[in-house]
Amino acid sequence: MIDYQSGYILRQVKPSFIYISLVLALLLNFLPFGNHAWIPDWLIICIVFWNIHQHRYVGVVTAFLFGLVMDIHSGSLLGIHAFSYSLVSYLAIAWHTRITALRTFSQILHVFPIFLLVSLFPVLVNWALRDQIHWWGLTSVVQAMIEALLWPLATNVLLFPQRRPIDVDPNRPL
Amino acid sequence: MQNSTPPLFKQGTPALAKLVVCLLIGLVLMVVDFQVKSLDFIRNQVSYVLRPLEKVMLLPSDLFSFGEDYFTSRSSLEKENLSLKTRQTELSLLANQAALLAVENQNLRNLLELQKNTNFRTVPVEILFNPPNPISQRVVINRGSNHGLNLGSPIANDAGILGQVVRLFDNSAEVSLLEDWDFAVPVLVARNGLRAAVVGAGRGNLLQLRYLPVASDLEVGDILLSSGVDGIYPPGFAVAVITKIERSAEQNASNVFCSPIAEVNRHLQALALIYEPQWDAKPAPISGAPPSTGRRQTRPKGQP
Repeated sequence: MIDYQSGYILRQVKPSFIYISLVLALLLNFLPFGNHAWIPDWLIICIVFWNIHQHRYVGVVTAFLFGLVMDIHSGSLLGIHAFSYSLVSYLAIAWHTRITALRTFSQILHVFPIFLLVSLFPVLVNWALRDQIHWWGLTSVVQAMIEALLWPLATNVLLFPQRRPIDVDPNRPL
Repeated sequence: MQNSTPPLFKQGTPALAKLVVCLLIGLVLMVVDFQVKSLDFIRNQVSYVLRPLEKVMLLPSDLFSFGEDYFTSRSSLEKENLSLKTRQTELSLLANQAALLAVENQNLRNLLELQKNTNFRTVPVEILFNPPNPISQRVVINRGSNHGLNLGSPIANDAGILGQVVRLFDNSAEVSLLEDWDFAVPVLVARNGLRAAVVGAGRGNLLQLRYLPVASDLEVGDILLSSGVDGIYPPGFAVAVITKIERSAEQNASNVFCSPIAEVNRHLQALALIYEPQWDAKPAPISGAPPSTGRRQTRPKGQP
């Protein structure tokens, strides 16, 4: 696979690395930061990243299952995260050829609506079920913005094992 | 799959089909969970796996607070110790007085044939974390039905009522805080005994005191205590303090806003109150007739 940002051909991905990174992102979500709007959802960044880069390993069903786990952790209505994660991962898979070919800044603009949908989905469901918009819940737009800004970091961290050079010549390191 | 080229024609189940199935399952789960609330057994089973992981992730913050405690200076500890000691003497004095008053009150109630006040038990609980949720503010505590908690048990700290158990698992429970949607506590104003209900208006919004006429005697700063008429909250616990009153004469109603007294994110220790009053009707005062218990009286076979 070609890394459009550096122009190099990437190494093959290790499936174990994908799954370990997903579990680590889930564990990061378990960190007790409290219930604040600005805390990023590490798991959805990771899921969307692998949806875009390796959709043959991480697809809609994986996103759905991780969403169920997040539902039970966060004590929200069972199915909210599962629904939004699987919807969003389909979007990411549908856009993956376009997004991988873009520059970093345009990538951020493309993943922002994806993260925004996940962040606002509980508010939308609450609106549908109770006929009232919970205005305070709209502060989670901040969460989506922070997640989108973390996208370059996620790219660097998660693509690092694949960007390592295949043949390292100790005499000529470049 | 790792070393194979992507298949050109056989691509398995199309992603759209998977998506539709997942969305349908998600929708059904949401509707069932909202309408029937019968999926808590799934949460209970999964929480056996999730809680240990969540506790592992609590370790960094535990270590941080432990370090903070460990490196406090000797003088600040001495100051804290002194203030705690004076507080304890005051409280034990008050407790003796309260015990006397309680006995006297119980005797008077006996004389007047009033309903007896019920005592409550307390279970110390620890707040583990508050999960991310844009809609509601909840905390997870480390005690559950195995430790005697019930669905609906109130949770309080030294300042007042924090909330109520809304989901009960075997070894943990989810507590909904006062400001959650449609969370109602029957209260009375401590100054004049006026009864009302405090209702939560969602995360980040102030609590509201509903169903009060415009001429009701309320002031900003009034403290609201739980009145105990619902049989869930024991009477006399501080719940909220009035912060804003908007009176509108046209609608003959006053919008009263209040904020909870007990700070939620500060205290990690709290108490669960196990309160089970017997709200039976009084026995009929007919002498000779057996007291009706409200159930159909059946006579054992073979006896007249």
